Amino acid sequence: MKKSMIVLLAVALMVPVQWALADTPQKGGNLIVCKPAEPPGLDPTANTAAAIDRVVYSNIYEGLIKVNRNGEFIPGLATTWSVSANGKIYTFSLRKGVTFHNGEPFNSQVAKWNLERNAAPTTKNAHPEFFRGIEKIETPDDVTLVVTLKDVDALFIAHMAEGDAVMLPMKGYENAASGPVGTGPFKFVQWVRGDRVEMVRNDKYWNPALPYLDKVTYKFIGDVSAQIAALKAGDIDVIGYIAAPEQASEMGKDQRFKVFAGTTTGEVIMSTNNKKKPFDNKLVRQAMAFAIDRKAVINLVMFGYGTPIGSHWSPSTPYYKDLTGKFAYNPKKAKELLAQAGYPNGFEATIKLPAIYSYSRRAGEVITDMLGQVGIKLKIEVVEWGYWLDRIFKQKDYDLTMIGHVEAWDIGIYAKPDYYFQYDSKEFRDAYSAALKASNEKEKAQWFGRCQEIIADDAVNGYLFSAPSLPVMKAGVMNWWENYPTIALDATEVWIKK
Amino acid sequence: MRLKSGLKNSHCICRPAETICVRPAGFLKMTRYLIKKLNAFALLLFLVSISVFSVLFVLPGDPAQIMLGINATPETLANLRRELGLDQPFWTQYLTWMANLLTGKGSRSLNYDMPVYDLILSCMAVTGPMALMAMIFAVIISLPLGIYAARHQNRPADVTVMFFTQLGLATPEFWLGILLILLLSVNLGWFAAGGFPGWRADFWGSLKALLLPAFALGVIRASILTRLTRSSMLEVLREDYVRTAWAKGLRERTVIYVHALRNALIPVLTIMGLQLGQLLAGAIIIENVYYLPGLGRLVFNAIGQRDLPVVRDVVLFMAVAVVVVNFIVDLTYATVDPRIRLE
Repeated sequence: MKKSMIVLLAVALMVPVQWALADTPQKGGNLIVCKPAEPPGLDPTANTAAAIDRVVYSNIYEGLIKVNRNGEFIPGLATTWSVSANGKIYTFSLRKGVTFHNGEPFNSQVAKWNLERNAAPTTKNAHPEFFRGIEKIETPDDVTLVVTLKDVDALFIAHMAEGDAVMLPMKGYENAASGPVGTGPFKFVQWVRGDRVEMVRNDKYWNPALPYLDKVTYKFIGDVSAQIAALKAGDIDVIGYIAAPEQASEMGKDQRFKVFAGTTTGEVIMSTNNKKKPFDNKLVRQAMAFAIDRKAVINLVMFGYGTPIGSHWSPSTPYYKDLTGKFAYNPKKAKELLAQAGYPNGFEATIKLPAIYSYSRRAGEVITDMLGQVGIKLKIEVVEWGYWLDRIFKQKDYDLTMIGHVEAWDIGIYAKPDYYFQYDSKEFRDAYSAALKASNEKEKAQWFGRCQEIIADDAVNGYLFSAPSLPVMKAGVMNWWENYPTIALDATEVWIKK
Repeated sequence: MRLKSGLKNSHCICRPAETICVRPAGFLKMTRYLIKKLNAFALLLFLVSISVFSVLFVLPGDPAQIMLGINATPETLANLRRELGLDQPFWTQYLTWMANLLTGKGSRSLNYDMPVYDLILSCMAVTGPMALMAMIFAVIISLPLGIYAARHQNRPADVTVMFFTQLGLATPEFWLGILLILLLSVNLGWFAAGGFPGWRADFWGSLKALLLPAFALGVIRASILTRLTRSSMLEVLREDYVRTAWAKGLRERTVIYVHALRNALIPVLTIMGLQLGQLLAGAIIIENVYYLPGLGRLVFNAIGQRDLPVVRDVVLFMAVAVVVVNFIVDLTYATVDPRIRLE
């Protein structure tokens, strides 16, 4: 038994190596990538919508820093960077000879202008706080950028690697939402509203070896059956990011296609209104955490794709702490806790599910059944997205809801008592600010770990699973991303095998 | 509009359709008719604009919040709301919208960052031809079948036709659309599974891209029209004047197509007009199944994204389209049956 396992493992390890050896990237070809949601504009510095980043980030626009497939920070428009001993001064060396698609040069003045623009009072950037910590920016020469922060910010580099911090040209920036101009490997061609965004190879890309593809088209197909039909009929090459899980496994059996099951930065959680009775009682929340069988949720909702989580942190993000054992499935314990909290016969509540996300609707149904088994009777209400944002997110008019939080490094939302969870904990806020001020890796790991622990202990929300990535593509599409440590569908290194 | 002489007592009338515009009296009548119609039209548009504006105004969901996502800071939100004019009171916003429409300045889509007018034009280049093709399919299927069924009433042919129309009525169009994709695109590879290349880029490809969705839409509508043609035909065939025509010894073809069909067509035309309006305004589901960048999908996404300028303008445009189609149907009544006068 053991021997056969070892043989199997060895074979499994060898196969990708052989593939890698046999395949040298070929240049040329058009790739059509299907994406469910059409982006609201194409300017990631004016909107946090993930749909924008998934089209333009790393393809058209680049920032100083990029995220590689393993979630590590690698050089983007900055080739190297260093931090001063006090953790406040970042010195970036910028890439030489980089030009924007419209011919404007990229240099330290442009970088400075971008960072300042995002922090300005009139900014449209959805995350001005990423840039507000900057005290001053100096540009000793064209390729050196010295950024001095007001205070230590452990997430500064992480934030500089997000779509909100991409570099725009000083002249061509006004039309970024409809005619993006960046430094990336692909140049924007056109956006046929309601249908597709087209881009072609940037022949003057700073890395002459890249990209491999001549043209990439992002096509917007919302209907999951239509996506699969389009792939089978050969109209598209890749369903980027995630295909319907119920169809992915079937597609994997077909020789003509391949399916990747990877990780993302997203966490699917049962958000809980911590100020509302009876959810203001920690025992009740912990009882719910015990009543949820995460493995079963993943099987029923995502057909087995996805990783259980015990806190608001995805396994693909650094400093992850596995806390899934804390509230392992135990309905008996859940009933005990409920009795202890004064609800021996359970109670009734409502769970509001946003209609646009099928995972959320399904997970809501599964959870309703699981909580029902310990006496918590949930009424399901399916709501439209605009309603969800208004009533639940803004006005906090809800008991429970179900949603995926896609951004990495977003545990800071627990430090805001008026966020829709309405979680108010000084202990967490202190731990989080300690994490932000951590100056070395060890301290960061310790404090970010502590943050994860505190909210897990408090069972602030029902932590279910890390959203899987589930791209499906034609067998000839090579080098597509399996894991998504950042929000992008980066086609830079993708090529088509002929 | 009303019928001048009683249809019941009329005899077969084969004279060519009179054109009312050539005579001065007719011309006056026509002008009066048009003015009356235009007044009603303006009132209708005003009511539509007020109601769509109010509904969107009270609908929960802040466009700025939807655009920026859940992690946006309150300050950024406030900036965007100010820029979009969402912080203005109801009437200011309504009047700005109306003023922009009337001066031809138009509105701008929040998500697409382009004039809504251009969006509607580009979407109509898909939805318009698709709706027309669907109607053509519906007519060429339903008229012959309906007449045939009426001629063979209660015989096996009639029962078969009626069975299939019942089936057609019960079939959801998206399901038929998916079946067509599975059979003709995925298995046989004859058609693309969806999408639209654009008229300028590939004319025949675009025509082909609309064929399946138009067929799916057309077949369902044909079911209704077939039944309607049949029953209308049966009614007319029982009329005295048709009996007279038979008695005169006219050929079957003449009786059916020249004498009976004209009268039988009136109710069919009415429904066709309604269907065409409905196709222009509401091919949402089929446009999603075939991921066509049409008007239905535009407004569907715009509602979800709270792209309010798009929703308002498209709804208004749809109202205009439906009214215009119905007006054209009114005019065709007179051509089909010259006894009908515009009043």
